[in-house]
Amino acid sequence: MGGLLSYFRSLIGSREMRILILGLDGAGKTTILYRLQVGEVVTTIPTIGFNVEQVTYKNLKFQVWDLGGQTSIRPYWRCYYSNTDAIIYVVDSVDKDRIGISKQELVSMLEEEELKGAILAVLANKQDMEGAMSVAEVHQALGLDLLRNRTFQIFKTSAIKGEGLDQAMDWLSNALQSRK
Amino acid sequence: MTDSKYFTTTKKGEIFELKSELNSEKKEKKREAVKKVIASMTVGKDVSALFPDVVNCMQTDNLELKKLVYLYLMNYAKSQPDMAIMAVNTFVKDCEDPNPLIRALAVRTMGCIRVDKITEYLCEPLRKCLKDEDPYVRKTAAVCVAKLHDINASLVEDQGFLDQLKELLSDSNPMVVANAVAALSEINEASSSGVPLVEMNTQTINKLLTALNECTEWGQVFILDSISNYSPKDEREAQSICERITPRLAHANAAVVLSAVKVLMKLMEMMAPDADFVVNLSKKLAPPLVTLLSSEPEVQYVALRNINLIVQKRPDILKNEMKVFFVKYNDPIYVKLEKLDIMIRLANQSNIAQVLSELKEYATEVDVDFVRKAVRAIGRCAIKVEPSAERCVSTLLDLIQTKVNYVVQEAIVVIKDIFRKYPNRYESIISTLCENLDTLDEPEARGSMIWIIGEYAERIDNADELLESFLEGFQDESTQVQLQLLTAIVKLFLKRPADTQELVQQVLTLATQDSDNPDLRDRGFIYWRLLSTDPAAAREVVLADKPLISEETDLLEPSLLDELVCHIASLASVYHKPPSAFVEGRGLGSSRRALPTRSGSQDILESSPSHGERSGVIPTQESLIGDLLTMDLGGPPVPSSVPAAPFASSGLDLLSGGLDGLLSDSPSVPPPQAAPAPSVGLLGDIFGLAPSASTSYVAPKQMWLPAARGKGLEITGTFSRRNGQIQMEMTMTNRAMQPMMQFAVQLNKNSFGLVPAAPLHVVSPLAPNQSYEAVLPLNPTGPVQRMEPLTNLQVAIKNNIDVFYFAVVMPMNIFFAEDGQMDKRVFLSTWKDIPAANEVQYTINNVNMSADAVSSKMQQNNVFTIAKRNVEGQDMLYQSLKLVNGIWILSELKMQPGNPTLILAVKTRAPDVSAGVNTAFDAILHS
Repeated sequence: MGGLLSYFRSLIGSREMRILILGLDGAGKTTILYRLQVGEVVTTIPTIGFNVEQVTYKNLKFQVWDLGGQTSIRPYWRCYYSNTDAIIYVVDSVDKDRIGISKQELVSMLEEEELKGAILAVLANKQDMEGAMSVAEVHQALGLDLLRNRTFQIFKTSAIKGEGLDQAMDWLSNALQSRK
Repeated sequence: MTDSKYFTTTKKGEIFELKSELNSEKKEKKREAVKKVIASMTVGKDVSALFPDVVNCMQTDNLELKKLVYLYLMNYAKSQPDMAIMAVNTFVKDCEDPNPLIRALAVRTMGCIRVDKITEYLCEPLRKCLKDEDPYVRKTAAVCVAKLHDINASLVEDQGFLDQLKELLSDSNPMVVANAVAALSEINEASSSGVPLVEMNTQTINKLLTALNECTEWGQVFILDSISNYSPKDEREAQSICERITPRLAHANAAVVLSAVKVLMKLMEMMAPDADFVVNLSKKLAPPLVTLLSSEPEVQYVALRNINLIVQKRPDILKNEMKVFFVKYNDPIYVKLEKLDIMIRLANQSNIAQVLSELKEYATEVDVDFVRKAVRAIGRCAIKVEPSAERCVSTLLDLIQTKVNYVVQEAIVVIKDIFRKYPNRYESIISTLCENLDTLDEPEARGSMIWIIGEYAERIDNADELLESFLEGFQDESTQVQLQLLTAIVKLFLKRPADTQELVQQVLTLATQDSDNPDLRDRGFIYWRLLSTDPAAAREVVLADKPLISEETDLLEPSLLDELVCHIASLASVYHKPPSAFVEGRGLGSSRRALPTRSGSQDILESSPSHGERSGVIPTQESLIGDLLTMDLGGPPVPSSVPAAPFASSGLDLLSGGLDGLLSDSPSVPPPQAAPAPSVGLLGDIFGLAPSASTSYVAPKQMWLPAARGKGLEITGTFSRRNGQIQMEMTMTNRAMQPMMQFAVQLNKNSFGLVPAAPLHVVSPLAPNQSYEAVLPLNPTGPVQRMEPLTNLQVAIKNNIDVFYFAVVMPMNIFFAEDGQMDKRVFLSTWKDIPAANEVQYTINNVNMSADAVSSKMQQNNVFTIAKRNVEGQDMLYQSLKLVNGIWILSELKMQPGNPTLILAVKTRAPDVSAGVNTAFDAILHS
């Protein structure tokens, strides 16, 4: 029985999950990507374009796309929506001024037909910094209360310190597997 | 089966299919898909819709896939400029890849993506790659800078890439140096200002010369091309560059050889034409050029086009190589025609027999074009090599006997020219020509034959009948023939008025009433009126002596030739057109290249014709015209008091208008001394001294404006100082067919502030073939502008035909003032005061005069001997002179009795003038 189960597991595992990391510029997307991939903090420059890496988390393979968050690049996010299994939406918890813009981008993204079935993980990043909004505040500011028909969860993270990322990934892999 | 199947497979389906394959998870499938996309792209299908999907495949560790995606990007980034930004991050990453191949690939592709929006993001990676540890990456990055400059020049300058490129010139790897220099010269050429952004200096040139020996053949071409843009500071440096480049002539690659030839041709301009070095170099140039002619025909053609230029510029190089230009039976026609051209250029008295027998052979070949050109070539030989004219003509006659239609026609066309060149020598053959009248069917041949009949109507008994026979089909002839016929019949009428009146009436009627061609009608009316009002005048006009035809009519114009020599080994030298004529986006003035000129100005005093001509070539005519236009056009007598030009410069009209006004101010009646027919002695008459009796030194006259450039106006001239007055002495000769009048002169601002002290007076009108000795007094009271060289003077001469510009170099001695004698003590203290660094030493050769003779000769030229000493058998002369602008010059002449070499030391507070003083001394002592 157990052999059969692991057989199925390996079948599922062989399919790469496609995950997009989105969010405004400077939210910490690239840092999170490389934290997940190599487990270290790398120095990053603004991503003009995209990064794509293979990330293995607990026997699960993910193809993680980190898209640049600049205003000029955001229109091209849609080119990456198809076949997406999950979205990691990163929010700079300190940047209260632009949280509204972040919300708009999130809402319009979730309206996309191609992302109907995608699971959403919101990361309230930069929790290590002074004056960061709490998870509840971010939840409120993004208007996540109004979200319907969506598997989603919000996490407080600090990519620099590596806090909260594991919880988020745990939840994400469970959610993805249970969806199958 | 229904027909619906035709509608199921649409183009959209294919794209859609590719799209899903590109997004496949299997790498293998992905790679296959990208290959399919590239294949479609290469055959011309539009696959730009797949841009985002292909770009998403960019980040891969598979080099093959990466290359394919890059290829796609280069092609379609322009059509998807907004989307191209998605590729930026990958470039940035790839430029830091551990694999140098990937780094270089990334930087190369970046340069090929011509999208404004993303260029600024690519600067940082480029900067890193320029400093990369791997030479392959550095050399690729160097070229990328040039590409970036083409997209956004200011960005490249702001980011300091030019400095980085310059640093690469000293790179340890020769290929990096070659690419850096190629990029730099590309950038220089594209520079809109015309001012090179990067100046070469002796050090960089040395580095380049070192790299030259080690890099690949194409790198060598880049390096040679940029060396050719460098002007060495003196002859010695030019020689040393020549020596280091000469080994390149033995290279197997034709491009390297031609580029080396270009550099050598340019540098040889800086040396005296008869120097041993130049003679030796010329000998070395011949073998490589000959070797080029043994390669495949296409290369031969390119070589021949270049050789054509070289032969025109320096006939000596290949004068003994006539045989290699003989046509082989299996040469392609384009090679044959080009070889023929060069054969003619090389033909001279010593090899003419060989050439003629070859040409005669060619005239019996089968290829019509080639035969025609060969026949024409024989005629050109006759005109070029006078002693062989006889043989050429008899060869032509032999050919006419063959009765081959096109041979006869070509022969008649060239015989017409031979008649013009050698009047009254070969007219006996006219009867032979007339026999072939009926076979002529080409306009040019018919026109030539008719011209011959008209010109020699008095020798041809039945000229009227012959011309009448042509007249029958007058309406059907081409314009060329009609015009000839009209003129010929009028000539005939003037020569034999008695029996041809009817004929002339007929042709005039045909030309004026039955023709729609305005040229023909006008000419007809002119003749008609001439004949009806004054037949004697008509005679003078129609039967006037014709000027001799020039020897070689198809030579390139000298200034064009000089420019093309600078472009040897490029397309310009094959087209024989300057690059600005066929390369888009080249500013007209910005990229003109000029040959270097020799710096030693003593050469200018030698009156070698070729050099005299060169002094008339002004490299930047546009700027000169600009300068002249802003000049004060007011009355010359009191030039300094007239305020600077208030005109809003409205181009040449203004200039001519101003000069016209100037002319009307001047007395319309010529002064009495100009009334008699001008002669060389006139000058002496005016000043009461014959030129030979003149005590101060006057350089012989040089060609300032050849007739070819002056639309028939030829000016030779020199400068003199007579009784304290600086003068410009010019011989103006009218070589055109029409009289010239309304002469005026303007000088550009110059180092000594020379301005005309009186209007230019030239006898008016200056009849054809008449010469006039014009003397223009000059005052050093005008605005001063430093010229390079110091003694350069830009002159504009206007007449009723046009305005002509030329530049001349003034001998320094005309500025030696009469009050140049210094007190002995002042001399001594001044000599000590002037720092030793200002002392310059020269040697003057071949002076066989005693110290006293030198002293008195110099005195006549306002160089005053202050003291004379004898030290250890050497005579020392201490002299002083003063320039009109108040600069004092002290000199020491060291001479040994019996030794013709003098040592001249010049000391002045303005050492810039020293070289000119030396030249003047040299000229005076040799006069």
